[in-house]
Amino acid sequence: MKTKKSVWLAMLLLVCLLLAFGATRSGGPLTQQDRIDLVTSHLACPTCSGESVFVSRASAAEAIRTEVARQVGAGIRTDDEIISYIEQRFGSQVLLVPRSTGLDSLVWSLPVAVLIIAMSLLVSAFVRWGSRKSSTPSATDEMLVKDALAETSQDDEG
Amino acid sequence: MRSKYLVKIVSSVVALVLVLLLWVLIISKPSDGQVARSPLLGQPAPSIVSTTIDDQPFDLQRRKGSWVVLNFFNSTCVPCINEHHLLVDFANREATNDNGAELYTVVNDDSDGAVRDFFSKNGGDWAKLKDDNGAIAVAFGVARVPETWVIDPNGLVRLRVTGELSAGLLEAQLDKLRAEFSS
Repeated sequence: MKTKKSVWLAMLLLVCLLLAFGATRSGGPLTQQDRIDLVTSHLACPTCSGESVFVSRASAAEAIRTEVARQVGAGIRTDDEIISYIEQRFGSQVLLVPRSTGLDSLVWSLPVAVLIIAMSLLVSAFVRWGSRKSSTPSATDEMLVKDALAETSQDDEG
Repeated sequence: MRSKYLVKIVSSVVALVLVLLLWVLIISKPSDGQVARSPLLGQPAPSIVSTTIDDQPFDLQRRKGSWVVLNFFNSTCVPCINEHHLLVDFANREATNDNGAELYTVVNDDSDGAVRDFFSKNGGDWAKLKDDNGAIAVAFGVARVPETWVIDPNGLVRLRVTGELSAGLLEAQLDKLRAEFSS
Protein backbone atom coordinates (compact mmCIF):
# COMPACT_ATOMS: atom_id res chain seq x y z
CA MET A 1 0.00 0.00 0.00
CA LYS A 2 2.81 2.31 0.98
CA THR A 3 4.77 1.47 -2.22
CA LYS A 4 1.72 2.24 -4.34
CA LYS A 5 1.36 5.64 -2.70
CA SER A 6 5.01 6.51 -3.30
CA VAL A 7 4.71 5.51 -6.99
CA TRP A 8 1.73 7.88 -7.42
CA LEU A 9 3.60 10.61 -5.57
CA ALA A 10 6.68 10.14 -7.77
CA MET A 11 4.51 10.29 -10.91
CA LEU A 12 2.84 13.49 -9.70
CA LEU A 13 6.22 15.04 -8.98
CA LEU A 14 7.47 14.05 -12.44
CA VAL A 15 4.43 15.60 -14.14
CA CYS A 16 4.92 18.84 -12.17
CA LEU A 17 8.61 18.94 -13.10
CA LEU A 18 7.87 18.36 -16.80
CA LEU A 19 5.17 21.06 -16.77
CA ALA A 20 7.52 23.53 -15.09
CA PHE A 21 10.27 22.68 -17.60
CA GLY A 22 7.91 23.07 -20.57
CA ALA A 23 6.56 26.39 -19.29
CA THR A 24 9.94 27.96 -18.64
CA ARG A 25 11.92 26.48 -21.53
CA SER A 26 13.28 29.08 -23.91
CA GLY A 27 12.73 28.37 -27.60
CA GLY A 28 15.96 30.11 -28.54
CA PRO A 29 16.31 33.39 -30.44
CA LEU A 30 13.41 34.28 -32.75
CA THR A 31 13.77 35.40 -36.33
CA GLN A 32 11.98 38.55 -37.47
CA GLN A 33 9.32 36.45 -39.18
CA ASP A 34 8.83 34.43 -35.96
CA ARG A 35 8.30 37.68 -34.06
CA ILE A 36 5.82 38.98 -36.66
CA ASP A 37 3.90 35.68 -36.52
CA LEU A 38 3.93 35.68 -32.72
CA VAL A 39 2.71 39.27 -32.39
CA THR A 40 0.03 38.96 -35.08
CA SER A 41 -1.25 35.70 -33.57
CA HIS A 42 -1.93 37.64 -30.34
CA LEU A 43 -3.99 40.28 -32.17
CA ALA A 44 -7.61 39.94 -33.28
CA CYS A 45 -8.61 41.06 -36.75
CA PRO A 46 -10.75 44.17 -36.04
CA THR A 47 -13.22 43.49 -38.86
CA CYS A 48 -13.63 39.72 -38.55
CA SER A 49 -15.08 37.57 -35.81
CA GLY A 50 -12.77 35.21 -34.00
CA GLU A 51 -9.87 35.42 -36.43
CA SER A 52 -6.39 36.54 -35.55
CA VAL A 53 -4.48 39.07 -37.62
CA PHE A 54 -2.07 36.21 -38.36
CA VAL A 55 -4.65 34.13 -40.25
CA SER A 56 -7.04 36.79 -41.55
CA ARG A 57 -6.94 38.02 -45.15
CA ALA A 58 -9.11 41.11 -44.43
CA SER A 59 -7.57 44.40 -45.52
CA ALA A 60 -7.55 45.79 -41.96
CA ALA A 61 -5.65 42.69 -40.78
CA GLU A 62 -3.22 42.99 -43.67
CA ALA A 63 -2.59 46.65 -42.77
CA ILE A 64 -1.88 45.67 -39.15
CA ARG A 65 0.41 42.85 -40.30
CA THR A 66 2.34 45.29 -42.48
CA GLU A 67 2.67 47.75 -39.59
CA VAL A 68 3.84 44.99 -37.21
CA ALA A 69 6.40 43.86 -39.81
CA ARG A 70 7.58 47.46 -40.22
CA GLN A 71 8.01 47.94 -36.47
CA VAL A 72 9.75 44.57 -36.03
CA GLY A 73 12.03 45.44 -38.95
CA ALA A 74 12.81 48.85 -37.44
CA GLY A 75 13.81 47.10 -34.21
CA ILE A 76 12.71 49.97 -31.99
CA ARG A 77 9.94 48.24 -30.08
CA THR A 78 9.62 44.97 -28.18
CA ASP A 79 6.79 42.56 -28.98
CA ASP A 80 4.79 43.81 -25.98
CA GLU A 81 5.29 47.43 -27.04
CA ILE A 82 4.08 46.65 -30.56
CA ILE A 83 0.98 44.94 -29.15
CA SER A 84 0.39 47.97 -26.89
CA TYR A 85 0.77 50.31 -29.89
CA ILE A 86 -1.94 48.43 -31.80
CA GLU A 87 -4.11 48.24 -28.66
CA GLN A 88 -3.86 52.01 -28.15
CA ARG A 89 -5.20 52.52 -31.67
CA PHE A 90 -7.88 49.86 -31.95
CA GLY A 91 -8.83 49.37 -28.28
CA SER A 92 -8.51 46.37 -26.00
CA GLN A 93 -10.93 44.30 -28.12
CA VAL A 94 -8.02 43.77 -30.52
CA LEU A 95 -6.23 41.63 -27.91
CA LEU A 96 -6.80 37.90 -28.32
CA VAL A 97 -5.10 37.22 -25.00
CA PRO A 98 -6.56 39.54 -22.35
CA ARG A 99 -4.15 41.49 -20.17
CA SER A 100 -3.52 40.35 -16.61
CA THR A 101 -4.14 43.84 -15.20
CA GLY A 102 -7.24 45.95 -14.60
CA LEU A 103 -10.71 44.66 -15.41
CA ASP A 104 -9.26 42.21 -17.97
CA SER A 105 -7.61 40.29 -15.12
CA LEU A 106 -11.08 39.04 -14.13
CA VAL A 107 -10.93 36.76 -17.18
CA TRP A 108 -8.01 34.97 -15.53
CA SER A 109 -8.92 35.25 -11.86
CA LEU A 110 -12.68 34.51 -11.95
CA PRO A 111 -12.44 30.92 -13.31
CA VAL A 112 -9.74 30.12 -10.75
CA ALA A 113 -11.82 31.64 -7.95
CA VAL A 114 -14.92 29.71 -9.08
CA LEU A 115 -12.88 26.49 -9.28
CA ILE A 116 -11.45 26.99 -5.77
CA ILE A 117 -14.90 27.75 -4.33
CA ALA A 118 -16.47 24.74 -6.10
CA MET A 119 -13.68 22.42 -4.91
CA SER A 120 -13.99 23.72 -1.34
CA LEU A 121 -17.76 23.17 -1.39
CA LEU A 122 -17.30 19.64 -2.76
CA VAL A 123 -14.65 18.77 -0.19
CA SER A 124 -16.75 20.12 2.68
CA ALA A 125 -19.79 18.19 1.39
CA PHE A 126 -17.78 14.95 1.17
CA VAL A 127 -16.39 15.48 4.66
CA ARG A 128 -19.88 16.12 6.02
CA TRP A 129 -21.29 12.99 4.37
CA GLY A 130 -18.34 10.88 5.54
CA SER A 131 -18.64 12.02 9.16
CA ARG A 132 -22.32 11.14 9.39
CA LYS A 133 -22.62 8.30 11.95
CA SER A 134 -25.29 5.65 11.64
CA SER A 135 -28.17 6.91 13.73
CA THR A 136 -29.27 4.83 16.68
CA PRO A 137 -32.93 3.74 16.60
CA SER A 138 -35.29 5.65 18.83
CA ALA A 139 -37.60 4.03 21.37
CA THR A 140 -40.52 4.43 18.95
CA ASP A 141 -38.54 2.68 16.20
CA GLU A 142 -37.77 -0.19 18.56
CA MET A 143 -41.46 -0.43 19.52
CA LEU A 144 -42.49 -0.55 15.87
CA VAL A 145 -39.98 -3.29 15.12
CA LYS A 146 -41.10 -5.27 18.15
CA ASP A 147 -44.77 -4.95 17.10
CA ALA A 148 -43.93 -6.01 13.56
CA LEU A 149 -41.99 -9.04 14.79
CA ALA A 150 -44.77 -9.98 17.15
CA GLU A 151 -47.32 -9.77 14.35
CA THR A 152 -45.14 -11.93 12.12
CA SER A 153 -44.71 -14.60 14.78
CA GLN A 154 -48.51 -14.64 15.43
CA ASP A 155 -49.15 -15.12 11.71
CA ASP A 156 -46.67 -17.98 11.63
CA GLU A 157 -48.36 -19.69 14.59
CA GLY A 158 -51.82 -19.18 13.05
CA MET B 1 -40.37 24.58 0.58
CA ARG B 2 -37.16 26.61 0.83
CA SER B 3 -35.89 25.31 -2.52
CA LYS B 4 -39.20 26.30 -4.11
CA TYR B 5 -38.61 29.93 -3.07
CA LEU B 6 -35.00 29.73 -4.25
CA VAL B 7 -36.10 28.55 -7.70
CA LYS B 8 -38.60 31.42 -7.88
CA ILE B 9 -35.95 33.99 -6.91
CA VAL B 10 -33.32 32.64 -9.34
CA SER B 11 -35.78 32.46 -12.26
CA SER B 12 -37.00 36.01 -11.49
CA VAL B 13 -33.42 37.32 -11.52
CA VAL B 14 -32.66 35.54 -14.83
CA ALA B 15 -35.89 36.91 -16.35
CA LEU B 16 -35.02 40.43 -15.15
CA VAL B 17 -31.53 40.23 -16.68
CA LEU B 18 -33.00 39.02 -20.00
CA VAL B 19 -35.55 41.84 -20.03
CA LEU B 20 -32.80 44.39 -19.30
CA LEU B 21 -30.65 43.00 -22.14
CA LEU B 22 -33.60 43.19 -24.50
CA TRP B 23 -34.26 46.77 -23.39
CA VAL B 24 -30.62 47.74 -24.05
CA LEU B 25 -30.86 46.20 -27.54
CA ILE B 26 -34.08 48.08 -28.27
CA ILE B 27 -32.89 51.51 -27.13
CA SER B 28 -29.33 51.28 -28.52
CA LYS B 29 -28.80 53.50 -31.54
CA PRO B 30 -27.22 52.26 -34.78
CA SER B 31 -23.48 52.86 -34.91
CA ASP B 32 -23.50 54.84 -38.18
CA GLY B 33 -22.28 58.40 -38.04
CA GLN B 34 -21.52 58.37 -34.35
CA VAL B 35 -19.02 60.49 -32.54
CA ALA B 36 -16.77 57.74 -31.23
CA ARG B 37 -14.22 57.43 -28.49
CA SER B 38 -10.56 56.81 -29.18
CA PRO B 39 -7.45 56.74 -27.00
CA LEU B 40 -6.04 59.28 -29.48
CA LEU B 41 -8.52 62.01 -28.55
CA GLY B 42 -6.64 64.91 -26.95
CA GLN B 43 -3.33 63.35 -28.00
CA PRO B 44 -0.94 64.53 -30.72
CA ALA B 45 -2.06 63.18 -34.07
CA PRO B 46 0.02 60.31 -35.47
CA SER B 47 2.60 61.43 -37.95
CA ILE B 48 1.45 61.23 -41.56
CA VAL B 49 3.98 61.59 -44.32
CA SER B 50 2.54 60.56 -47.65
CA THR B 51 1.80 61.76 -51.14
CA THR B 52 -1.43 62.64 -52.84
CA ILE B 53 -2.71 60.54 -55.74
CA ASP B 54 -1.35 63.39 -57.90
CA ASP B 55 2.10 62.78 -56.39
CA GLN B 56 2.19 65.94 -54.30
CA PRO B 57 3.99 65.51 -50.96
CA PHE B 58 1.96 65.71 -47.75
CA ASP B 59 3.15 66.01 -44.16
CA LEU B 60 0.55 66.43 -41.43
CA GLN B 61 3.10 68.19 -39.19
CA ARG B 62 3.26 71.01 -41.72
CA ARG B 63 -0.50 71.57 -41.49
CA LYS B 64 -0.24 72.88 -37.92
CA GLY B 65 -2.07 76.16 -37.54
CA SER B 66 -5.09 74.86 -39.47
CA TRP B 67 -7.98 72.64 -38.55
CA VAL B 68 -7.53 69.42 -40.51
CA VAL B 69 -10.29 66.95 -41.37
CA LEU B 70 -9.25 63.48 -42.54
CA ASN B 71 -11.87 61.32 -44.20
CA PHE B 72 -10.95 57.65 -44.69
CA PHE B 73 -12.54 56.58 -47.94
CA ASN B 74 -12.97 53.77 -50.44
CA SER B 75 -14.80 54.33 -53.73
CA THR B 76 -16.67 51.01 -53.46
CA CYS B 77 -17.93 51.54 -49.91
CA VAL B 78 -21.64 52.46 -49.92
CA PRO B 79 -21.63 54.71 -46.80
CA CYS B 80 -18.64 56.58 -48.32
CA ILE B 81 -20.62 57.16 -51.51
CA ASN B 82 -23.70 58.18 -49.51
CA GLU B 83 -21.88 60.77 -47.41
CA HIS B 84 -19.86 62.25 -50.27
CA HIS B 85 -22.30 65.09 -51.09
CA LEU B 86 -22.17 66.12 -47.41
CA LEU B 87 -18.37 66.36 -47.61
CA VAL B 88 -18.64 68.47 -50.79
CA ASP B 89 -21.04 70.84 -48.97
CA PHE B 90 -18.71 70.89 -45.96
CA ALA B 91 -15.66 71.71 -48.12
CA ASN B 92 -17.56 74.52 -49.85
CA ARG B 93 -18.65 75.99 -46.51
CA GLU B 94 -15.13 75.81 -45.07
CA ALA B 95 -13.65 77.44 -48.18
CA THR B 96 -15.64 80.59 -47.38
CA ASN B 97 -14.47 80.66 -43.75
CA ASP B 98 -11.28 82.52 -42.74
CA ASN B 99 -10.53 79.85 -40.16
CA GLY B 100 -11.81 77.11 -42.47
CA ALA B 101 -10.75 73.50 -42.03
CA GLU B 102 -8.69 71.69 -44.63
CA LEU B 103 -10.31 68.49 -45.83
CA TYR B 104 -8.25 65.49 -46.96
CA THR B 105 -9.37 62.12 -48.18
CA VAL B 106 -7.26 59.17 -47.07
CA VAL B 107 -7.60 56.48 -49.71
CA ASN B 108 -8.15 53.13 -48.01
CA ASP B 109 -7.44 49.93 -49.95
CA ASP B 110 -8.40 51.42 -53.31
CA SER B 111 -6.70 52.25 -56.60
CA ASP B 112 -5.75 55.80 -57.58
CA GLY B 113 -7.65 55.41 -60.87
CA ALA B 114 -10.89 54.41 -59.14
CA VAL B 115 -10.60 57.35 -56.73
CA ARG B 116 -9.92 59.79 -59.59
CA ASP B 117 -12.96 58.49 -61.49
CA PHE B 118 -15.16 58.79 -58.42
CA PHE B 119 -14.15 62.37 -57.69
CA SER B 120 -14.41 63.48 -61.30
CA LYS B 121 -17.99 62.16 -61.37
CA ASN B 122 -19.08 63.29 -57.91
CA GLY B 123 -17.06 66.43 -57.29
CA GLY B 124 -14.60 67.30 -54.56
CA ASP B 125 -11.33 69.03 -55.40
CA TRP B 126 -9.51 68.52 -52.12
CA ALA B 127 -6.32 66.43 -51.84
CA LYS B 128 -6.53 62.63 -51.73
CA LEU B 129 -3.76 60.97 -49.74
CA LYS B 130 -2.28 57.62 -50.61
CA ASP B 131 -2.22 54.98 -47.89
CA ASP B 132 -0.94 52.03 -49.88
CA ASN B 133 0.10 49.80 -46.99
CA GLY B 134 -2.62 50.98 -44.60
CA ALA B 135 -0.10 52.64 -42.25
CA ILE B 136 -2.23 55.77 -41.81
CA ALA B 137 -5.34 53.67 -41.10
CA VAL B 138 -3.46 51.61 -38.50
CA ALA B 139 -1.95 54.74 -36.91
CA PHE B 140 -5.48 56.08 -36.37
CA GLY B 141 -7.00 52.68 -35.55
CA VAL B 142 -9.33 52.73 -38.54
CA ALA B 143 -10.65 49.27 -39.34
CA ARG B 144 -13.70 50.16 -41.43
CA VAL B 145 -14.40 53.09 -43.72
CA PRO B 146 -15.77 55.68 -43.68
CA GLU B 147 -14.24 57.36 -40.68
CA THR B 148 -13.72 61.07 -40.20
CA TRP B 149 -11.19 62.65 -37.86
CA VAL B 150 -10.64 66.25 -36.85
CA ILE B 151 -7.23 67.58 -35.80
CA ASP B 152 -6.91 71.01 -34.21
CA PRO B 153 -4.36 73.73 -35.18
CA ASN B 154 -2.03 72.47 -32.42
CA GLY B 155 -1.92 69.03 -34.00
CA LEU B 156 -4.10 67.37 -31.35
CA VAL B 157 -6.80 64.88 -32.27
CA ARG B 158 -10.19 66.33 -31.34
CA LEU B 159 -12.91 64.26 -32.98
CA ARG B 160 -13.58 60.83 -34.41
CA VAL B 161 -16.75 60.00 -36.31
CA THR B 162 -17.25 56.38 -37.30
CA GLY B 163 -19.58 55.38 -40.11
CA GLU B 164 -21.60 57.48 -42.52
CA LEU B 165 -21.87 61.17 -41.67
CA SER B 166 -25.29 62.61 -41.08
CA ALA B 167 -26.22 66.04 -42.46
CA GLY B 168 -24.76 68.87 -40.39
CA LEU B 169 -22.94 66.60 -37.93
CA LEU B 170 -19.43 67.52 -38.99
CA GLU B 171 -20.23 71.24 -39.20
CA ALA B 172 -21.86 71.28 -35.76
CA GLN B 173 -19.02 69.34 -34.15
CA LEU B 174 -16.35 71.49 -35.77
CA ASP B 175 -18.06 74.73 -34.70
CA LYS B 176 -18.23 73.39 -31.15
CA LEU B 177 -14.54 72.44 -31.24
CA ARG B 178 -13.54 75.81 -32.69
CA ALA B 179 -15.38 77.59 -29.89
CA GLU B 180 -13.75 75.35 -27.30
CA PHE B 181 -10.18 75.08 -28.54
CA SER B 182 -9.41 78.06 -30.78
CA SER B 183 -7.05 80.41 -28.99
